This record gives sequence, C-alpha cells and structure tokens, in this order.
Amino acid sequence: MLFSSIPFLYYFLPCVLLLYAVTPKKLKNLTLLISSLVFYAWGEPRLVVLMLITVTFGYVFGMLTEFVPKAKKLWLILAVTVELGFLVYFKYVDFFIGNFNAVTGLSIPLLQVTLPIGISFYTFQILSYNIDVYRKDVPAQRNPINLAAYIALFPQLIAGPIVRYSDIQKELTNRTHSLEKVSLGVRRFILGLSKKILIANVLGELCDTFKASDDKSVAFYWLYAIAFSLHIYFDFSGYSDMAIGLGKIFGFTFMENFNYPFISKSATEFWRRWHISLGSWFRDYVYIPMGGSRVGKVRMFLNIFVVWLLTGFWHGAAWNFIVWGLYFALLLVIEKVFLLKFLNKSKVLSHIYLIFFVLISFVIFNASSMSEAFSYIGSMFGAGNVPFISVETLYYFRSYIVVLLIALIGSTPLPKRLVEGTKFVKVLEPVVFLILLAVCTAYLVDGSFNPFLYFRF
Amino acid sequence: MKIKNLLTVLLSGLFVLSLSLWCFFGKTPDYSESERRVLESFPKVTFDTISSGEFSQDFEKYSTDRFPLRDTFRSLKAYTRLYAFSQKDNNGLFVAEGHLSKLQYPENPVMTQHATELFTKIKETYLADNKIYLTIIPDKNMFIARQNGYLSLDYKAFSEYFKTEMPYAEYIEISDFLNADDYYLTDTHWRQEKITDVAKHLAESMGQTLNDTYTENTLRYPFNGVYVGQSALKVKSDTIIYLTNDTIDSLEVEGAKAVYDMSKAQSKDPYEMFLSGTQPVVKVKNPQNAEGKRLVVFRDSFASSITPLLSKAYSEITLVDLRYINSSILDQYVDFSNSDVLFMYSTMLLNDSLSMK
Repeated sequence: MLFSSIPFLYYFLPCVLLLYAVTPKKLKNLTLLISSLVFYAWGEPRLVVLMLITVTFGYVFGMLTEFVPKAKKLWLILAVTVELGFLVYFKYVDFFIGNFNAVTGLSIPLLQVTLPIGISFYTFQILSYNIDVYRKDVPAQRNPINLAAYIALFPQLIAGPIVRYSDIQKELTNRTHSLEKVSLGVRRFILGLSKKILIANVLGELCDTFKASDDKSVAFYWLYAIAFSLHIYFDFSGYSDMAIGLGKIFGFTFMENFNYPFISKSATEFWRRWHISLGSWFRDYVYIPMGGSRVGKVRMFLNIFVVWLLTGFWHGAAWNFIVWGLYFALLLVIEKVFLLKFLNKSKVLSHIYLIFFVLISFVIFNASSMSEAFSYIGSMFGAGNVPFISVETLYYFRSYIVVLLIALIGSTPLPKRLVEGTKFVKVLEPVVFLILLAVCTAYLVDGSFNPFLYFRF
Repeated sequence: MKIKNLLTVLLSGLFVLSLSLWCFFGKTPDYSESERRVLESFPKVTFDTISSGEFSQDFEKYSTDRFPLRDTFRSLKAYTRLYAFSQKDNNGLFVAEGHLSKLQYPENPVMTQHATELFTKIKETYLADNKIYLTIIPDKNMFIARQNGYLSLDYKAFSEYFKTEMPYAEYIEISDFLNADDYYLTDTHWRQEKITDVAKHLAESMGQTLNDTYTENTLRYPFNGVYVGQSALKVKSDTIIYLTNDTIDSLEVEGAKAVYDMSKAQSKDPYEMFLSGTQPVVKVKNPQNAEGKRLVVFRDSFASSITPLLSKAYSEITLVDLRYINSSILDQYVDFSNSDVLFMYSTMLLNDSLSMK
C-alpha cells in the first residue's frame, strides 16, 4: 500500500489510528504489528510470509547470540548468510543468471522471481539488529512481537529510512505520545505527501513524457536530467518525511534521511546529506569493519569502491546501478586525493561541479540500460544528432517551469527559514497544511495509480 | 504553540475522519455524469483475488472512483494545476481563446497508416467504378493550439500523407472555410450553423450545386460539450443551433430516428441530436431530388451535422461509420452503385483510428 493513495489515507490510516488510540499500552506494539502486516499484505499477500520468516531468523539468531555467546560468531555468520541469502535470491538471482548466460553463452532459464516489496530495507534492518546484538551494542529483544513490530513497522517498512534497532529500542517498550508530537507528525506527513504528490509525481510525468517523445533536443535532455534529479529527491525525501511523520504520531523518532543534498559542494558532502540512513548503514557495517580510512591509501580507496559498488547494487539488480555506485566512488576518491582542496576555495564553482555530476549520475541511475545512459549523456552534449531546442521542449519547459522553480527552491533550506522567520506564516500553518492535504487528495482522486519509485529497492 | 498544535491535529483529523466515514458509509453514484462513464464497482472478495493482489488493485480504482465529492476534488486539482502551478494543460486539456480543447499531439503514424490501409482495402473491394473524394476535418486545435503556445499536429503534413497514400481519391480542402468560431467552445465538434459554406464547397467540389437558405433554431437545453466533464473546469455552456428548411424538413431517414432527434437533445451528449448520433449505417433520402445523385460518406460524428446541409444536392446520402460496422460486410448494407463516395474524417479519428475495422 502506498502512503500517497486513497486506500491508505482514507481507509487504512484512520482505522489504525483509532485502533491504536483505544488499545491499552501493553498491546500497542501488537496493534502496530498486525496493522503493519495488513499494510504489507495489501500489495504482496503471499510474500508477507517471507518477511515473517526473516524476522523469525533474526529473532532466533539474536537470542542464540545472547544466550549461547560461545558460538556467537557462528550465529552471526548464519544470520547474515540466511538474511542476505533471501535478499540475493529474491532480488539478484535473475541478474546473476542473465550475466552468467551472457558470459558463457549458455541459456539457463531465468527464475522470474517476484521481488518482495521493501526487502532491501527490512533485510538491512534485521542485519543491523543481529550485528548490533553480536557487538553487544544492544541486548537481544526477548519479545518476538516487539522485534517483529520493529521490522514490520509500516511507516518505514517499504521505503525507509533504514531505522536501526538501537535507535528505537527504548521507544519500542516505552514511548510517549503527546499533542505536540502528533501535531509535528501530522505536519511532517502532509509536507511529505505534498512533496510526493504535488512535485515528485508531476516531475515524474515530465520524465515519462520526455522518454516517450520523438521530438527530443539537447535542451530537452538537460530538462529531463534536472527534472529527474528533482523528481527522485522529492519522491524519496517526501516518502521519508511521511515515514518520519507517521513515526512521530505513533511515538517513534526515526532518523532524518535527507538534509538538503543539492546544496552540497562536493560528492563527499552530498553523500552525507542524501539517503543518510543507507550511507550510515554502509559506513557502520561495511566501510568501518573493512578498516575505513584508518588504513593505507590504496586499501582505503579499495574500501570506498567496495562500499559504493554495494551501494549501487543495493538500488537495483542492473548494471546501471553498479556503474552509478562506482561513478560516485570515483568522484569520492578523486575528491579525497586532490579535488576537495580546490573545491573548498570557491563555493560557486564547487556547487556547479556537484550539481553537474549529480545530474549526470541520475541520468545513469534512471537509464533502462547502459547503452541508453551513454546515449542520453552523449545527447546532453550534442552527440545524438538532435537539435538544440524543439517545439516540444519549449512547450514542456513552459508547462513545468513553475513546478521546477518550486522544486528548486524547495530543495534548499530557504522555505524553512522563511517559515521560521515569519510569525504570520507560522500562525497560518494549520490552515496551510489543511489546504495542502485537500489539494493532495484532489490530485489523488483525479490521478491514476502511481507507484512509488523506491518501492522495488 | 499549543493552540497551533491543537488546530493542526483537529483540522487535518476532522478532514480525514469525515471523508473516511463518508468513504465507508456514504453512498456514491454508479455513474459519473461529468466523465460520461460507469464508475468502478466494489471488487470481488475471494481468496484468489485477495491472494493474487487483484483485490487490492481493484480496490484502489474503486476507492478513487467512488471518493466523496469526486467532481469537486477534480475541479480543485484542475484549477491548482492550471492556475496555481501555471501548467499548460491538465490531463491534456487546456483553455485557449475561450475554448476548452485537448492536445492532439503527436501524429501517430501507426494510426494514420491503419486508416489509409483500411480505406484502400474498401476502395479495392467495393469502389471499382465510383468517383472517390477525401476531405479531412481539422480539429479546432488547428486554429487555437500553436497560436497560443500549445502543441498541435502539423496539419499540412497530415493531409499530405493522406493525399499521397490515397491517390485514387480527389482531395477537397476545407480548412480555408473554417476558423475557431466554427467549433463549440466546450466540445470537439463544429457548429452546424457555421459550416454552410463548408457544405457548399464540398458539394461543388463533388460536381453538385448547392444554394440553400436555412432557418436557425436554438435548442432550449444548454450544451456542455465533452470537454466540460473531462476538464472539471467551470465554464459557460454552449448553445446548439440547428438549421431547417423545406428540404431538411422533408428528408426521410433510415437507421436513425430523425434528422434532428429531439430525444437526444436532453441526453448526456446533446450533439447526438444530429442524426441520432453514433449509428453504423444511416440513410438520408431526399424526396425532393429523387432523381439526383447518390453519395456514400465514410464518416465520424462530424458528418452528422453537415449531412442535412448536403442533402439537397443528392437523392440519397448513406453514412457509414466504420467504428460500428465491419468493412468486410459493407455490401450487405450499402449499395455503392451509381454513387459518389466521400471519405470525410476528422483529424482526431484519423490519428486514433484503430476503432475502425
């Protein structure tokens, strides 16, 4: 089920909120667990079993690690093997078979495995739990309902942020609810909903239009690169805002996932601001265990390449995602070797540098194949035998310019500063949010089903 | 701060809760008048539909279709998109020069090819000895789209394609006789009272003379064209004016109720009053010119309103709508002998022609 859908907003959520409100404190996690299973089963009824099996393994290995510590390394290896095994099978097996066939000339049939929604997110959560228990950073959760509620918690189940068990361990058993928290959650949720529906979806339309167009131009390629970069930011950060807002309503505090990444001045900074929960997961569970930056330079660069290879691959079982990850690894290494020193000298130039390379990166990210990525990037620089501008480009530029400008300004801290600095706007907030909710509903009623971009990651 | 928090929760909560209760317990219509379509029904609840995910997909459509105040919300979206966000169109619909219209873009080569191949097949099967004409009715975007910064077909290239692919047909250019005022503001179609010159030009181009005068009659009912519901914008209704004279009054019609079918005038689409709207084969006989020439028109709905104006020049006009009759069985219903044949289609249908068989 999508947050940005009528069934969620006007059927599921009101029922869950009412049920949650009347449930005694002791049973609130059970209510959340059952609600989350219904939420998950709504889109993937059969695959809910897989999630429950994963949770069971996580629970059992967590308990074994704590109560049979002599073999805790074994339990961790088994936990990682089983949990990653599920991820590899369901997400990557056809990719491996396809590439094996391509290399060997064999034609082993693909397994056509259905990718379970949110498997990358919940696998990483249960992995972090087992690793943290192994490291004794957290005690094993005795109550399986609490652990299952943590993994399946619907606000963050299908699109993150990747909430660490250690971050909400206390709130799982003892959390408070207040009007202030609920109000904050409601505002954050509506803000995210608006980002998703009023900006991301609209820019998504522009990207689809571009892809279907027979009248492309150099300018249209650039317009697409800008639109897609903003689209994916507003889509994903909007979903994270909704998750964080819903978490607040239910008394949880999830980590922030985005911090205005487009104001960065280097790829290093960009990745501190973009998909923070994923970046910090790889940092804490892969990069640092490999030695991080406390090793020789060559080893450190190797570590960076490994981490970003995995980061790219986490996003999807296709070569363009791998190349996308390695592309950032290369940028990070170059920055570490010499570029950061120069970038620090000019804010403007460093910002232009970052935006340029991020735009290119998202063209690679959204390509259906590497040949399409090369073709698009080539065309952005006039290599595709396309005109500089076309009638269609001008039309869509005029049609989307206001949304693009709103998105550009909205991707900076400027609106937040404006709201915080203007008393009048702050007073009007409840009405503004009500209007936003009504307009989002209007877009949903008028629109058709609109899948969330990060659904399959 | 506390009041702000309270207001935020109360306003948003009441909004969601009231609509939610309406969703669960309220009654919603089965048919959308504005969109002219049946709304989704509650999906089947079986183990199979639930386990396959079919139920959730269908419920998504159902809940969106049956949402309370659907038309109001659609309007809110249309106004937000067109005016708050200054987007040029909403679901392809736009407003220009007071007209509601829909983008007709880009040209679809598969569709135009399908149309020419079908026409050529008909020519080869049935029209060995007939004089064949072709005319293409430009949609109103020809006069309002590009001029106002909207995408539109290259009409010249579009008609050139048909001229090239149908060398057996004599092309009659009618766009010189048309302008934006000749179309309804809220609908795709042309206004009958504005196309008498088109009818005269067509008749003369096909070797007939047509000098006729008409009386204008105004339909009492407002005409909200097809774009009103689709756009969800509040706009002024059109008025249908229909023309009569002695010839038109004496016409005999087969396959439709009447030349001006007043039972359709109050229907969802009052334009259907012209020859009862969409019908597979309609014959219009003119007893005042019983010895005159006969004409077979392969047509879409635009022909319904111009046919009465052409009727004086012919003894019989047969209208064939290939969307509702398969071309392979035409000889059972249409007599092509001693008839001229006119292919008269709007750009809209030619660019979306797969419904013609």
